[in-house]
Amino acid sequence: MSAESVLSPAALRRLNKVQPASDPSSFYAASEKIYPREVKGRYASRRNLTVAVLLGLFYGVAWLNWRGHQALLFDLPARKFHIFGLTLWPQDFFYMALLMIIAAVSLFFFTALAGRLFCGYACPQTVWTELFLWIERRTEGTRSKRMKLDQGPWTAEKVLRKSTKQIAWLAFAAYTGFTFVGYFMPIRSLGAQLTSFSLGGWAVFWIFLYSLATYGNAGFLREQVCKYMCPYARFQSAMFDKDTLIISYDETRGEPRGARRRGSDAQTQGLGDCIDCTLCVQVCPTGIDIRKGLQYECIACAACIDACDEVMDKMAAPRGLIRYSTEHAMHGKATHVARPRLFVYGALLAAAAAAIVVSLSARTPLILDVIRDRNALYREVRGDRIENSYTLKIINEDNERHAYRLEASGLKDLTLAEPLGVIEVAPGSVSSIPMRLEAPAEVAAGVHPITLRITAADAPNIARTEKTRFIGP
Amino acid sequence: MPESPKIRGAARRQLWIDVGLVLWTSFLSASVASVLGFAAVDPQLLRDAGPRIFDNLNREAGYALGFFFFWAIGALASGLSVFMVRSAHPPALNDGESP
Repeated sequence: MSAESVLSPAALRRLNKVQPASDPSSFYAASEKIYPREVKGRYASRRNLTVAVLLGLFYGVAWLNWRGHQALLFDLPARKFHIFGLTLWPQDFFYMALLMIIAAVSLFFFTALAGRLFCGYACPQTVWTELFLWIERRTEGTRSKRMKLDQGPWTAEKVLRKSTKQIAWLAFAAYTGFTFVGYFMPIRSLGAQLTSFSLGGWAVFWIFLYSLATYGNAGFLREQVCKYMCPYARFQSAMFDKDTLIISYDETRGEPRGARRRGSDAQTQGLGDCIDCTLCVQVCPTGIDIRKGLQYECIACAACIDACDEVMDKMAAPRGLIRYSTEHAMHGKATHVARPRLFVYGALLAAAAAAIVVSLSARTPLILDVIRDRNALYREVRGDRIENSYTLKIINEDNERHAYRLEASGLKDLTLAEPLGVIEVAPGSVSSIPMRLEAPAEVAAGVHPITLRITAADAPNIARTEKTRFIGP
Repeated sequence: MPESPKIRGAARRQLWIDVGLVLWTSFLSASVASVLGFAAVDPQLLRDAGPRIFDNLNREAGYALGFFFFWAIGALASGLSVFMVRSAHPPALNDGESP
């Protein structure tokens, strides 16, 4: 019984959303493996350079030290973020939020300006896929060799090539997982624990998880992450307009496409510049045909531009049949780089950047918490004096040791019951100090708002004021 | 209603795609929830102030537990959405034409 006769038109349409109805057998078709062809050219070199720099930064910065501690460490176990000279505490989440806003708005800004630059050059998915593809080329050979190898029987050579590739992939994936976790737990002690087989359970779990994610994403899922999993790929079109740089095929120049002899005159044969060699399709990491127009699968890696330019050179035709262009330019209109959208994104970016610079420069690397003793409101001492107990929590967020002095004010003759002297707090640590204040009974009756102030003895600009209460009978 | 194997195959494939989508979108939202949540709350609070079963919880375990909790809640919401959309009659997401 055919599918059409059993199902209502609505049910059919619902199914048609899965796969085109013209070929019902494709219901079963798993996505076909894509063998991206190797490509050389201007954009390929730029991408290789970006990939090398980004991978170098990722694997390298983890080992960088800054004044005795790891330069970039989001120390989750200790709840402290080290960013070179700056140490952020959970109380400083504001800065992290600003940094994330800056990252998001930059993405919008560059997408509006130059299309999917991030996808094609800087997205970790692209970067690690390039790395894994490079390994694949070194072990299994070029595109045609890889296809032949996959189709052929399991010879000794195939086993050797495939297992070499898998070992290299697994090694890179494992090291990537280790490095990634090394940004969240100190990488040197993580390394020492690893070599002495004394890693903690959670460290092993996260390293394993991120290794697996790297291996799966860069080795197998590849373009499917961009096509099916990436939300950004779907909504980036909201940042696009007719002046956004996109990779486009010049249809008016290329069509009608068709094969021809080298040196023959295309015009007399009624042909456009496209020789239909399909190299642009073969090099595409997401397996699309750019000649069908802009598609959301296109990650703007520009591999098709490189491939087509090489062919145009061979055909002695001008380059740029496929090129970076804008919709306006393609239709013979002027492209406007300066446009409201860019100014809005740019202004947002500038505002967030200014906010972070201003607030960071005004930041006092000191936190004071005052906790009143909960057990007793007050205590009478030496007959005529009233005493209140407090606990001071002093957090030295600076990278240097400081000695702090305490002053209390807000009530006549308010004094410390015992002199505290200077309170020394090591860099990046918390000190809890029990402390008692006392005042004469005749002024102490009732509840009095008082002010505590600590000042670094060696740096008077590092100071904090905190309000609390002094309670009498 | 008799169904051809092709239709069953398509339905099964759609089910797996749905499961994948639900797990993936809830994973993304769990990551966001973990960053925001644990910036505000130290997971050790669970040990110090939470129920007795958390008495031996260290911070790393707290992060992991929190992440999986957020993931589960996200998957619940995401899964319910997909279920409601797919089980609607007439289909909630058709192409605009009446059947």
